[in-house]
Amino acid sequence: MNDGAGPDAVLALLIITDLLLLGSSRLRSCITITALQGVVVSLLPVLLHGAEGAVRPWILTGGSMILKGAVFPWLLLRVLRESGVRREVEPFVGHTLSVVAGVAALMFSIWVGTQLNLPGPVAPNQTLMVPAGLATLLIGLFLIVSRRTAVTQVLGYIVVENGIYTVGVTLVGGVPMLVELGVLMDVFVAVFIMSIAAYHISREFDHIDVDQLNQLRG
Amino acid sequence: MLLWALLILPPVLAGTCCVARSARRVLLLASVGGAGWAALAGATASAAYASGPLFAARGWLYLDALSAYHLAVLGLVFGASSVYAWGYFQGELADGTLSLRSARRFGALWFGSAAAMTAVLLSNNLGLMWVGIEATTLLTAFLICVHVTPLSLEAMWKYLVVCSVGVAFAFVGTLLVAASAQRLGLDASEMLLWTRLRESAALLAPGPMKLAFLFLLVGYGTKAGLAPLHSWLPDAHSQAPAPVSALFSGFMLNTALYCLMRYLPLVEGATGGTGWGGGLLVVFGILSILLAAVFIVFQQDGKRLLAYHSVEHIGIIALGLGLGGIGTFAALWHTLNHAVCKALAFFSVGRLGQMYGTHDLGRMAGAMRRSPVWGIGFFGGVLALIGVAPFAIFMSEFQILRAAAAAHAFVALTLFLLGAGIVFVGALRHAMTSAWGEEVCEPKLQPGGVADAVLVFGALALLLLLGLWMPGPLRTALEQAALIVGGRP
Repeated sequence: MNDGAGPDAVLALLIITDLLLLGSSRLRSCITITALQGVVVSLLPVLLHGAEGAVRPWILTGGSMILKGAVFPWLLLRVLRESGVRREVEPFVGHTLSVVAGVAALMFSIWVGTQLNLPGPVAPNQTLMVPAGLATLLIGLFLIVSRRTAVTQVLGYIVVENGIYTVGVTLVGGVPMLVELGVLMDVFVAVFIMSIAAYHISREFDHIDVDQLNQLRG
Repeated sequence: MLLWALLILPPVLAGTCCVARSARRVLLLASVGGAGWAALAGATASAAYASGPLFAARGWLYLDALSAYHLAVLGLVFGASSVYAWGYFQGELADGTLSLRSARRFGALWFGSAAAMTAVLLSNNLGLMWVGIEATTLLTAFLICVHVTPLSLEAMWKYLVVCSVGVAFAFVGTLLVAASAQRLGLDASEMLLWTRLRESAALLAPGPMKLAFLFLLVGYGTKAGLAPLHSWLPDAHSQAPAPVSALFSGFMLNTALYCLMRYLPLVEGATGGTGWGGGLLVVFGILSILLAAVFIVFQQDGKRLLAYHSVEHIGIIALGLGLGGIGTFAALWHTLNHAVCKALAFFSVGRLGQMYGTHDLGRMAGAMRRSPVWGIGFFGGVLALIGVAPFAIFMSEFQILRAAAAAHAFVALTLFLLGAGIVFVGALRHAMTSAWGEEVCEPKLQPGGVADAVLVFGALALLLLLGLWMPGPLRTALEQAALIVGGRP
């Protein structure tokens, strides 16, 4: 597994899912794409460190896959059903322009990657992994600020998390297990609570357009 | 042993709250349990001072002078807020607006947030510290909407999204710290242990460490409410029930600043003590003070006014930390003064708000005549907050000014004085109206208890006492804590 084909595929899929997410307006497919991205990213610990024969990367991969591939989409689809919203109408930045912005973010990240003199990645031949993670992080942030519905903002948060996960796995091989499990649990609870909040919002306001939450100011 | 007890007691109490039979019992448990836990926290902190740093769980739990000091402040704020919560919710208990369900949720999350904040303070592992901070965000989110209203939902949503995303940046920072420590060749289980990193701070790679500190500053700065990352803060503080606002403002913000205090000596060590990290803190601090000052002048809502005061005071603490030297000592002292003062102010405005049915300062006019105890609490609290001598806040701000002069940071000094001046005039005007102004509204008076008077006058007396005379043990505690952050006493 050290030939780099696996990680390269992950890299490609990561970027493709990023761009797909920016370009699609149907919320249901956005949720599916994010779930796919989550599963792909979860594979990284096994692909990069699995050959060392430890059981640790397998546990992480398994836990993260179940969360990102099954639990999160299930929670979000439920919110979607409750609110009856199908698609993201009129985002602040149009879908075509969003894809352009995504490509710009990718190029910027690659440039940053060459400028930063980071200590050598844990796995050799993976110099593009950190920029890809960084680009995913930026694209997640972009989703949060440029979309109106609560569901897309939660998706943006998951994408940010995927980006950080990629950077983390590549940059630092051996964060203690307890920490990684703690982080995983926090992310789970965060998405769980955000879904509950989005559910309450849809019940209280009859919409999940968070741009209209603007009563508090000054 | 003590450390484990501190961590385990809150979840046990939270569980008990979930099965309590009536809303009344939940609240009773919250106040008695909260006060008891606060006493335990105080005892643990003094044990750490008496016998040196405490360790547990093979060095993963760690309590030194810095965290012991913060633990004591947390105990004070949490204990007082728990006792106050009992009185605060009495009215809602009586007319039945507080359902058993919401009361249970409040009790469980109340203790849950205490556990999370304690975990941040006790954790020696920087990764677990991050997990604790994120957990405080998640656990406190639903405390904002104990009463589900459109406004509180809006505040909660902003709080959740802004803080979760912000704190995610701090995690990137934590990873970069781990990356910069790679050349130390530490074992995975020791890689993020603060004590190990502190020992060899000079050997950390400076480039990644600088980048890490930037990420950490943005991440934890969001949670601490440093401008311009404070957007969630006024909304959350104004919509939460008063005991929760007091805990937010009195301690939760400081938990995030505490994390930055842990990283400051690391980045100073790695960059060779050039004051690079401190300089950044000074910039954010000054920005927070000035921005808050502008909003305070035009604020009509009492709780939002106090929320912007939090931004200002967190800025002052960051400024003191950044200046270093005696500034570190003063910043730590300011933490205690601000916590006491802000808890008092939120307690008072919360109860007055219940009586008047609004937090609008104009409509609360004349509160001093109607409810002397809470009126004095609010007026005295605001006076102390804006730095009237001889309250303790005046003294700690004065020392920060001295630190600025000693560091020849005259621009920072001027801007700080300017901001403090604007706040003084702006807030004093609001406080005078609400204390003595022409009455506009007829309040629904609530019977006051002995506990109310004890909370208000106890806090005012403490602030006055600390302003006039600093006890020897407190001075030693502050000096030891300041040494850890890297300032000279």
